Amino acid sequence: MVDFLIGLFLASLIVALFTTRLYRLLLWYSLNSLTLGLLALSIGRDIDDNAMIITGVITIIIKAIGIPYILKNLSQKFNFVRQITPEIKVQYAIMLIPAILVFTFYLSEPIVHMIHTNANYVAISISSLFLSLLLMMEHKHVAPKIIGFLSMENSLFLLGVTATNGMPMLVELGIFFDLLMAIVVINLLFHKEEISL
Amino acid sequence: MMLSLLLLPALIMFGVSFIKNNKAKYILAFTSLVILLPIVKLFLLSKPYNILGTYLVADKLDTYVLLVSSIVGIGVTLALLTLDKHVKVSANSYRRFYRFFAIFWVGLIFSILSNHMGVYWIGLELATLSTVYMIKTNHTLASHKEAWNYMIVGAIAISLVLFGIILMYASAKPILGEEAMQFDLLLAHAKDIPSPFLFEMGFAITTIGMFVKMGFFPMNLWLANIERASFYPVAALFSGILESAVIVGFFRFSQIAMKVNYDHLFIFIFIYTILTIFIVSFLIYRAKDFMRLFSLSGVEHMALVVMFWVSGAPFAALLHFGAHAFLKPALFISTGVLESTGKYKIAGALRGYKGKKGTLFWFLVSLFLLAIISLPPSPMFFSELYGFGAMIATAKESDHMLAMIGAILFLLILLSIIFYRFVAIYQTMKYEGEEEEKTVYSSELFALVIFAISLVILLLPQTLEFLHSVI
Repeated sequence: MVDFLIGLFLASLIVALFTTRLYRLLLWYSLNSLTLGLLALSIGRDIDDNAMIITGVITIIIKAIGIPYILKNLSQKFNFVRQITPEIKVQYAIMLIPAILVFTFYLSEPIVHMIHTNANYVAISISSLFLSLLLMMEHKHVAPKIIGFLSMENSLFLLGVTATNGMPMLVELGIFFDLLMAIVVINLLFHKEEISL
Repeated sequence: MMLSLLLLPALIMFGVSFIKNNKAKYILAFTSLVILLPIVKLFLLSKPYNILGTYLVADKLDTYVLLVSSIVGIGVTLALLTLDKHVKVSANSYRRFYRFFAIFWVGLIFSILSNHMGVYWIGLELATLSTVYMIKTNHTLASHKEAWNYMIVGAIAISLVLFGIILMYASAKPILGEEAMQFDLLLAHAKDIPSPFLFEMGFAITTIGMFVKMGFFPMNLWLANIERASFYPVAALFSGILESAVIVGFFRFSQIAMKVNYDHLFIFIFIYTILTIFIVSFLIYRAKDFMRLFSLSGVEHMALVVMFWVSGAPFAALLHFGAHAFLKPALFISTGVLESTGKYKIAGALRGYKGKKGTLFWFLVSLFLLAIISLPPSPMFFSELYGFGAMIATAKESDHMLAMIGAILFLLILLSIIFYRFVAIYQTMKYEGEEEEKTVYSSELFALVIFAISLVILLLPQTLEFLHSVI
């Protein structure tokens, strides 16, 4: 089950890299967050960790439902450009993405030996981090860059879940709080832009 | 109780910022000044002092950094009082600025006083996000672009910090469990960490994240451009307060990393900081405006602080840090007056001041300008002497004495480029250009006087003794 979810997590991120429409990108981000939440629930149930189960539920509510909903509303309110063509052409991206995956597995080889639980997942979370960075770099518009930043946060969450069997509850809640604060700031930046223009 | 006292002024400031009344401006400024009181009280308490269980613990290092930051906060508040006389700023933007300034303080207090890697990160992230809006207070296209730039690059930097924290936590969790997040426990058990390589990887990634936030290589111009696009009190806040929160994290993480493997840490940090100073010195040489000049000089000084710290000279690092934290905001605040006839008018910037206020202003700015290039009796002169001395002392214990002497000589060449540029700029400011009359307001002059007094206090024997006792 965990293998299936982690595969789905990576797949949703890769598909997001090829997406050319904003709403579809939001959908892939939502799916990415949903698999992450389910993953936390699954691992939390396996190791009998209530804190991780709570974190999984909050992830699904905030990241899979709340944030995509808010971003969609923002995009309608401020008339975002919805055609978001990546700067990197598809034929190059097809070569670049597997190269990043292979490189990351090679890069994380020494670390993987030191982590006894879910070792390969650590490599996947690091590669997700690089792919999220790629998502930020390959777009000119701000909206996909925000999704890239949020995906990067998802990758770190995955790393926390897999490398350490979950961070302390206080830290997880703090990260959620900061994420909400980031959304408020993003909203304000768009809002002020509209006023000034 | 102490935590409530520390947070109360910020919470009041946050609440008052919603009141749409002209008098609210003065209440906001007053509340901002009051932040200093609980911090002074905390500074005088015996250490270590548990503020919130093991999550927030006050010790000599963090209370010193917090005290310095709160004094800078006073300077920033005073400069804000006359901001509308130098630039165009609406009452609404002003209130919003204070709203985010309050959130910034909450984040700052948590990050500086934290004894927990996770709490440190949460505080730093909160402080970072709250500064994004402050950049946007300036309603220009450049500031809008830079606010987004800061949001995105800052988010990447802060993500790297979290990434490293997770790896460090993973490395120590087998022996410390969930308490592997605590700085004091990690420091006490640094030698027992079962995967030192994993810890070092985590430390390196966290450090790069923090260095990016401070404008180190390869992001040297990133911070300078952001500060150029913002109002000058925001730049003062960045250089004097936000960087303090970042550097205190570096101090904490590196203390543990020194115990894990000192040689690896030293080589990594030393090469990184030399590379940063190398690039920054040439960027300073080419700088054509005050904001970028001071910002890049700030990067140089933070690189020196980091270098002295890892070279086994915490006294020099803390002295240099204190001097930088007072000098740089003072210069940024004076930029409001210096640039009153044009952004890129360096020639004649120190001319055209009339009356006692004007004379005192140009005299103080001249002193600050000469102090940041470490002319005696600047605290930076003494910190650099101690710092370079410590570097040689460290090299004596290794087999790399010649390499260290070479590195110091190289550093001195780079510092002399910066020295030359600042002296040339000072002469251009004082003796070239046309004499145009400039107005100096009491509040900003008062801010400069506070910074000057703080610098003198830094050189008092009691302060130096305190800095010696911090580590």
